[in-house]
Amino acid sequence: MCFVTGMLSHYQYQPWSWLPVPASPVQAYRVTQGLHVATGVAAIPLLLVKLWSVYPNLFRWPPIRSMKHALERLSVFVLVASALVQLTTGFLNTLNWYPWPWSFPSTHRYLGYVLIGSVLLHIALKLPDIKYGLQARLGDADVLTEVPWNENPLAHSNAGTVPPPVMPAMDRRGLFVAVGSGIGVIVLTTIGQTVTPLARIGLLATREASKGPQGVPVNKTAMSAQVLTLATAEDWRLDVTGPTPFTLTLEELESMRSVSEHFPLSCVEGWSVGAEWRGIPVIDLVRRAGGDTSSSVEVFSLQPNGYNHSMLVGPHVGAALIATHLNGERINLDHGYPVRLIAPNRPGVLNTKWLHRIEVT
Amino acid sequence: MRNYRIALGVAGGLLLTFGVFRLVTELDAGDLLVLLVWLIAAVALHDGLIAPITVGTGIALAAVPPRGRRYLQGALLAGALITVIAIPLIGRQGTQPESKAILLRDYAANLALLLGMTAALALALYALRVLREQEPAGAPPVEDEAN
Repeated sequence: MCFVTGMLSHYQYQPWSWLPVPASPVQAYRVTQGLHVATGVAAIPLLLVKLWSVYPNLFRWPPIRSMKHALERLSVFVLVASALVQLTTGFLNTLNWYPWPWSFPSTHRYLGYVLIGSVLLHIALKLPDIKYGLQARLGDADVLTEVPWNENPLAHSNAGTVPPPVMPAMDRRGLFVAVGSGIGVIVLTTIGQTVTPLARIGLLATREASKGPQGVPVNKTAMSAQVLTLATAEDWRLDVTGPTPFTLTLEELESMRSVSEHFPLSCVEGWSVGAEWRGIPVIDLVRRAGGDTSSSVEVFSLQPNGYNHSMLVGPHVGAALIATHLNGERINLDHGYPVRLIAPNRPGVLNTKWLHRIEVT
Repeated sequence: MRNYRIALGVAGGLLLTFGVFRLVTELDAGDLLVLLVWLIAAVALHDGLIAPITVGTGIALAAVPPRGRRYLQGALLAGALITVIAIPLIGRQGTQPESKAILLRDYAANLALLLGMTAALALALYALRVLREQEPAGAPPVEDEAN
């Protein structure tokens, strides 16, 4: 699930022209990316317990019994290493913490392929063990030893009836309950950044939407984007290029027909919040520039670098707004004053802020 | 079974190879080297430190009588998992601009609260068990003690 929702998110950045991202349901990205981060966070404790349960295998002797065994152990190393790094860096990303030199999105994406590939390979290798484990009765199963059952002389299937292992303290069920409770607490106390009603018990949640300016958190501030002077300049203009190009002053833009929409702002980091946006439909500007709903629209920010432009294609062209108001107030500098893009079912980072040019092709 | 294994193995191998290929071709050499260090360090840190601490704790706990031990094990396990998630939050809280509305909570206090609740729940379950075992003989055996 984590892999699939992750790939859906990457698709938002580089969609194929024949398969544009749909504009509805408007909450879709909010749900898939919320799930991506929630399942990723839940996978951290799960991975630790899984690795603990197989830890004795690390010391089995001889370490390498055959070429085949050597390859299997190499694949397990790739699996463990990529899982640990993928989950750690993914979690740190949600804390806006980047203690590494590489670009996070592309490395996270390719490491995702490595991880899902090694998971599938591992399942292929262990399928006989998995089948045996699922068929055996819970109380009698000896899969807990993690010695492959067909190599284990004590396995029931090889040795006839053997008394079940004695576990005087915590047994399998106890382990399941303890791990399940731990993961349950983690999910319930972190998911509030996506599922708004659970924000109140978000003891370990990163974002608090209600504490953001105008009720919505900001990821890139006007200060860090270096747009403070440009965005407040008297001579700000919106250039719209296309077959019939034109330029608008802020006053002219604000006097155009505006509509209100309830779109969530959904961040790639998993947090999201519903908001009331008011602005000028992008399609009105596109038509005036000589385009239509089949046009490709690229919007450009005053921001000198980083994610300072984005593409609108397909259904997004008809659904997006050039927003002037957020939750009933004129959008402030950190939210993209004078105007920003907002579209449904779209990662927050692609809703470009501090716009100054729109290209219609 | 054989066909499933082949299909899974081939799909997994292809995805893995694709991921490695893209990493090798798209990251510059310096970044790739750091990533390699991260991958090896992650395994070394887990296998050399985290897992031994867990196993060592388990061995140390063997001295505790089994009746109470399972509750202690459960509380420690759940508590440790919650702590793993909370530690980076504690290290990072209050470092970001206010308008991002991120990491504003007192995660150390929240962690203490969650650990306290975990301990209280484990204690309550243990107390319940002790009380039930003190019931007069002839009471029906409790099912989950069968193991």
